[in-house]
Amino acid sequence: MTAAAQRWPTARRRRGGVDVAAAANLVAELTTYLSAAFALPTAAALWYGESPWPFAGAAAITLAAGLGVGRATRGRERVGLREGFLVVSLTWLVAAAVGALPYLLSGEEQLSSPIDAYFEAMSGFTTTGSSVLTDIPDLPRSLLLWRQLTQWLGGMGIIVLALAVLPRLRVGGRQLFQSEAPGPEVEPLSASIRSTARRLWLLYLALTVAEVAALSAVAVTDLDPEMTFFDALAHALTTMPTGGFSPRGRSLEEFGAATQWVVIAFMVLAGANFGLMYVALVRRDGRALLGNEEVRLYLLLLALAAAVLAVDLGAHGVAAGEHAVRAGAFQAVAIMTTTGYASADFAVWPALAAAVLVGLMFVGGTAASTAGSVKVVRHLLIGRILRRELDQTVHPEIVEPIRLQRMPVEERTVRAVIAFFLLYVTLFAAGTLVLMFDSEIGGLGLAPFEAVAAAATTLGNVGPALGPAGPMGSFQPFGDASKIVMILLMWLGRLEIVPVIVLFTVRYWRK
Amino acid sequence: MRIFLIGAGQVGTTIAEALYDEHQLTVVDLDASRLGGIAHRFDVATVQGNGASRRALQEGGIRDAELVIACTSRDEANIIAAMLAKKLAPAARTIVRTANPEYLEVWRERQLEVDFMVSSEEETAHAVSRTVGVPAARQTDVFADGQVQVVEFDVEPGVRADGVVGLPLREAAIPPDSKVASIIRGDQAVVPRGDQSIQVGDRVVIIGSPEAARAWSALMARGKRRVDDVVVWGAGRAGTAIARQLLERNIAVRLIEADRERAREVADQLQSVRVFHATGFDPDFLERERVGHATAAVFAMRDDAKNLYGATLARLHGVQLTIALAHEKVSVEVFERAGIDVAINPRQLTAEEIVRFAHDPRTQQVAMLEGDRYEVLDVTVRPESALLNRPFRQLPMTGSLIGAIVRDGRAIFPHGDDVLLPGDRAIIFTDARRATEVERTL
Repeated sequence: MTAAAQRWPTARRRRGGVDVAAAANLVAELTTYLSAAFALPTAAALWYGESPWPFAGAAAITLAAGLGVGRATRGRERVGLREGFLVVSLTWLVAAAVGALPYLLSGEEQLSSPIDAYFEAMSGFTTTGSSVLTDIPDLPRSLLLWRQLTQWLGGMGIIVLALAVLPRLRVGGRQLFQSEAPGPEVEPLSASIRSTARRLWLLYLALTVAEVAALSAVAVTDLDPEMTFFDALAHALTTMPTGGFSPRGRSLEEFGAATQWVVIAFMVLAGANFGLMYVALVRRDGRALLGNEEVRLYLLLLALAAAVLAVDLGAHGVAAGEHAVRAGAFQAVAIMTTTGYASADFAVWPALAAAVLVGLMFVGGTAASTAGSVKVVRHLLIGRILRRELDQTVHPEIVEPIRLQRMPVEERTVRAVIAFFLLYVTLFAAGTLVLMFDSEIGGLGLAPFEAVAAAATTLGNVGPALGPAGPMGSFQPFGDASKIVMILLMWLGRLEIVPVIVLFTVRYWRK
Repeated sequence: MRIFLIGAGQVGTTIAEALYDEHQLTVVDLDASRLGGIAHRFDVATVQGNGASRRALQEGGIRDAELVIACTSRDEANIIAAMLAKKLAPAARTIVRTANPEYLEVWRERQLEVDFMVSSEEETAHAVSRTVGVPAARQTDVFADGQVQVVEFDVEPGVRADGVVGLPLREAAIPPDSKVASIIRGDQAVVPRGDQSIQVGDRVVIIGSPEAARAWSALMARGKRRVDDVVVWGAGRAGTAIARQLLERNIAVRLIEADRERAREVADQLQSVRVFHATGFDPDFLERERVGHATAAVFAMRDDAKNLYGATLARLHGVQLTIALAHEKVSVEVFERAGIDVAINPRQLTAEEIVRFAHDPRTQQVAMLEGDRYEVLDVTVRPESALLNRPFRQLPMTGSLIGAIVRDGRAIFPHGDDVLLPGDRAIIFTDARRATEVERTL
């Protein structure tokens, strides 16, 4: 063995440009730890007297597969910059597969097709909230809880969680963190990524507990007779990750005004910057949060959208008074933060309201939130980039940095934002076309705007669409090809496109 | 006075020329030919060596020096020389020349053990500011996290301050939250009693809030024409310092820089300046950007020839006031012959400021050292002080003046009815001979 080969043990064995085995090794390790997540539904199954075997079986399969792949690729632990993208992308594909296991093992008729089970699991982990179920309350409670839990695990990110707890990821974690964390640049809360990840998860956990408490309080004080502790837990698990799954057949419509207002408040929090919220809480100073340009625009857009919806609902006599305000606020917040709950069947709302909601699917929350979609900061930056372009046509020599919070933004980041937006729009358009095409062939009879909504809702990780896949409907009628396309859109959307799409370039795999 | 001068370049030579007659000068420089030139023209002792080396300083007999001036073009060497001087000649005051605004800031916050710091860039910016009619405040001291400022102004001919200049102070319209702490007339300091007045040609020292400092700045402005658009060629250190100063006075500034990376760097730093990446010599560009409509054009490039050419071009385009930096001494005359309105030699200005400091009656006040005539004190009032709970109007006027009080972290600018409370921090301008007495009374 030459000296060089000794210094770089993987260099000799690596053939292509990417060390797939090393990436697989890390994904296998992460998967192994994921099997621990089955503890909660197993316990719930025993508590409710339901069968725990789907979860025990899924845990066993996950553990065996994880350990097996880990053993086969032992000694290949060096994950570099390139492998990072592969690790992040694969982890989410594998996590969705793991999530689908209990659905298949339970023998539940609604999820008996592997594609349906995988769709439901991918929709869970990516916190989308689109569902192929047609009769949700029919599922065993333990399985419903697992469905909620997948969203909670996916919300702050599987890899961010791993960074917080796994010692192995101390090296090279920064890049993995940036690939998975939402927004163009998540500012680390501390010099170490590990403690940043810990703080984010801690706040996430604390907010979830707070929502369980708030909803339980609604139940205990009898403000809402529908609310139970199970509902409180189930909804807290899908509000904070802006997920949108509900164990109820008609989502939040089944609950009263008190519950809906509490959920609105927590959805607004879930779509806001967790890093800034952490700073605001620790320093007991709200200025860090409310002085942030993006957070201000986020709140402004929410208020504006809520007002437009309320007025439109009032004008068409769909709702009036407090009900109109609440329905408008709830739906605007639920869609813009990409949560995807519904407090009414907005698929039958007037055209303006429907158009506003589909528009909101492209907005999203702030950077470093659990929300999906384009995100407010990118819209803000794109607005400023356009303003600069116009200025430069009149004054060709002007040198004008794009600023965010008064700080200049690097041109590289500016380009990345433009590229992201173009990729986003392209994928959305391509997705819409494929859905239309499949619907024409398969005889689903999707209206063009419904295809637009379905592509936008899955790519933005929102949840409900319009038409048959509306908030009270189901994605069940879509053909398999459409479902696969939507699975891909959810996956791309959650990882903010770029880490996934580089895998499909030739140069990524070359030396 | 025994003066130790480190650096015999243009600044050093100008200083030597001004001081050699009355004082004993020792000049240190690395370059023997420069020393030869200076020794040939003036009656000074010379030492060849590094001014930042202890051996060279000792060899020159720094032990007996009363004033050490480090004015080479290297900032760090100047600072080290001054620090060594503080150790080797504890009685000496030190003056350091720097080109780095950050050092200046650090010095103002008293993190650098230097008595006086001068920056060519800063002096140039002051000069440009004065020329366009808005004199810059020379900030000398900051207290209570910037809430209290001690600022000085030159009262130049043609100031607009009708309600202040020439009137007895008790009748003058002094901006609120400020007090006249001292009036410097020639080499005399006048105690600002109510019957005294500010005259043209004086330098006044003000203690006040940042807003009051701005109000004074407006008062001291010359002329009636409002300056609202200045174009600066060259975004080097001098150019950016000028842009900063003008911005602070709410004047819109456009900067032209030929180097792309430097242009971007400056655009990143200065949010409200419009920065252009251009040579500034292209007639199409000048026409497109309507440079001719600017109230003033400032040429702060490194090359005198470019400054001259640019200024002439700007005049052709119709700019009313052209100001150009002349780095070479001879350029000043060339520029003026060519019709440029004002030529500024940064090194000359720096030397003048250093010489002025050497002559200033308040030299030691600025530095807050013992043994000179004036000091600004920052004293916490003791509970047993005799001055407690008495309205200010009843306190005796003795040449010491309480400019501001810091109470619970907030600055108060006292009026006649205010009283001192125990625990207050008083910012006091005082005759140094009375300093100990003032401290005892409080």
